[in-house]
Amino acid sequence: MGVTCVCQVPVAEGKSVQQTVDILHKKLEQLGAVKQGSFCVDCETYHATGNVSGQPSKLLYVMHNSETPLSCLALFEGGPCLIADANFDVLMVKLKSHFQNSKAHKVECRGSRYRYCDFLIKVGTVTMSSSARGISVEVEYCPCVVPGDCWNLMKEFTQSFLGPSVPELPSVFAAKPEGLFAPADSVDTMTQYLELFNKLRKLQIPGSNVR
Amino acid sequence: MRLHSMTSSLSASSRETAKMADVVNVGVNLDAFSHAISGIQALRSSVSRVFESLKDGMKNRETLEGREKQFIAEFQDNLQAVNRDLNELERLSGLVGRPSESHPLHNSGLLSLDPVQDKTPLYSQLLQAYKWSNKLQYHAGLASSLLNQQSLKRSANQMGASAKRRPKVQPSTLVLPPQYVDDVISRIGRMFPDMTIELFRPNGTSAVLLVTLGKVLKAIVVMRSLFIDRTVVRGFNENVYNEDRKLDIWTKSQYQVFQKVTDHATTALLHYQLPQMPDVVVRSFMTWLRSYIKLFQSSCQRCGRFLQDGLPPTWRDFRTLEAFHDTCRM
Repeated sequence: MGVTCVCQVPVAEGKSVQQTVDILHKKLEQLGAVKQGSFCVDCETYHATGNVSGQPSKLLYVMHNSETPLSCLALFEGGPCLIADANFDVLMVKLKSHFQNSKAHKVECRGSRYRYCDFLIKVGTVTMSSSARGISVEVEYCPCVVPGDCWNLMKEFTQSFLGPSVPELPSVFAAKPEGLFAPADSVDTMTQYLELFNKLRKLQIPGSNVR
Repeated sequence: MRLHSMTSSLSASSRETAKMADVVNVGVNLDAFSHAISGIQALRSSVSRVFESLKDGMKNRETLEGREKQFIAEFQDNLQAVNRDLNELERLSGLVGRPSESHPLHNSGLLSLDPVQDKTPLYSQLLQAYKWSNKLQYHAGLASSLLNQQSLKRSANQMGASAKRRPKVQPSTLVLPPQYVDDVISRIGRMFPDMTIELFRPNGTSAVLLVTLGKVLKAIVVMRSLFIDRTVVRGFNENVYNEDRKLDIWTKSQYQVFQKVTDHATTALLHYQLPQMPDVVVRSFMTWLRSYIKLFQSSCQRCGRFLQDGLPPTWRDFRTLEAFHDTCRM
């Protein structure tokens, strides 16, 4: 577990989502990366019921990552987060009276996983209710634990296969450039995924009140 | 039952100490030793007599009383015999003395207990290898002092004494007191604020250092008195201990970048050599290792890029400490 950066790749002009993903795969294989299976990150949204009227209800996001299959993450956007056992989903079912699942807003990101030297690259298609909304690329540099140290290195690597479009330093890291990226919990990675999912959700549903 | 096991373990250990006495010849009274061994045998036979008489039970006599009396008398006699033999054994074991504690090879001296000497002559080969490496170190020291003179004369008259007259003294740098090694290492550790050095002695007097460099890497350095023997470099988030909670000095890093750094570190410890002043060597090695604090931040001085084949610049020049890719170094 090292420093992870999740960024969104725009769909190539005149091509479909699947074709862009294929182009990325080919570029990675040209670089010398080895395919190592697949990955899946998903996110379910729960509305908190029984709130003070007039205030928008808080949204609870429950996320899973195939990298850590035995745990799941529950977080409020910008708020506290909890790392729990996989049985947390069952608990949420029992808490139906307090948290309602909005099944229409389930977001999933699936794709293949590549390994190149000490880098782990995951190229995935973000789908919401079985319609592809965008492409996500997650790059992880495993040996390093301080994001401030290796950001330039990761940027150079990402540019080598994504092209010259410069990914920005994720906001999660801006807060703690010298800090230790706690490898045991994947909070920072999942927060980045959540931001990406929310961005993609807003893109396709402009003007909707449901966040 | 306990008496039995105690005497059997006593005899086994006395046999072992007899063997060790072959190797470490000092302070053992061999005569009292053989007496002690026969004393053990006498004790064992009296103990087995006790159990036999118990097993046989009461002998056939006219009256029940007579039988009981006879049985008790016999039992008492046997126990007294055991007591006598045990006291004799204790007295003899006091005379035997202890084998010398100062085996130079510590735990490896126990290798001599292997009975199959002709098939696995490990111990004798180990001793030979040790003596050979000591001699090598000594000759290297002599050679370095000769070469450092840089005299222009063709014949070196000062060292003209023949080999027989040269003193056959062990080089003093190989047998340094552990306290001195501790002091040197702690002084070097204090020199650099971002590097912490912890010293362990898991096996005998050889020090094993755990060097933590900032949040970048952890290096395990195995020493032999003040000379660096080998080193393993692993990532900051990798495990340095194995299941026994001891330092794992063998497993390679799981990351390619640190495997490369390990290779470079091995090259460095071969490069920094000064037989007469080993503490200078350790200091130079640590200074070189400290340059890795910016392992992920520096770009290569030659090609200017960060990555080459997925690796950051892992080579540090021995004199200038500049960062180069492994393929870019001059």
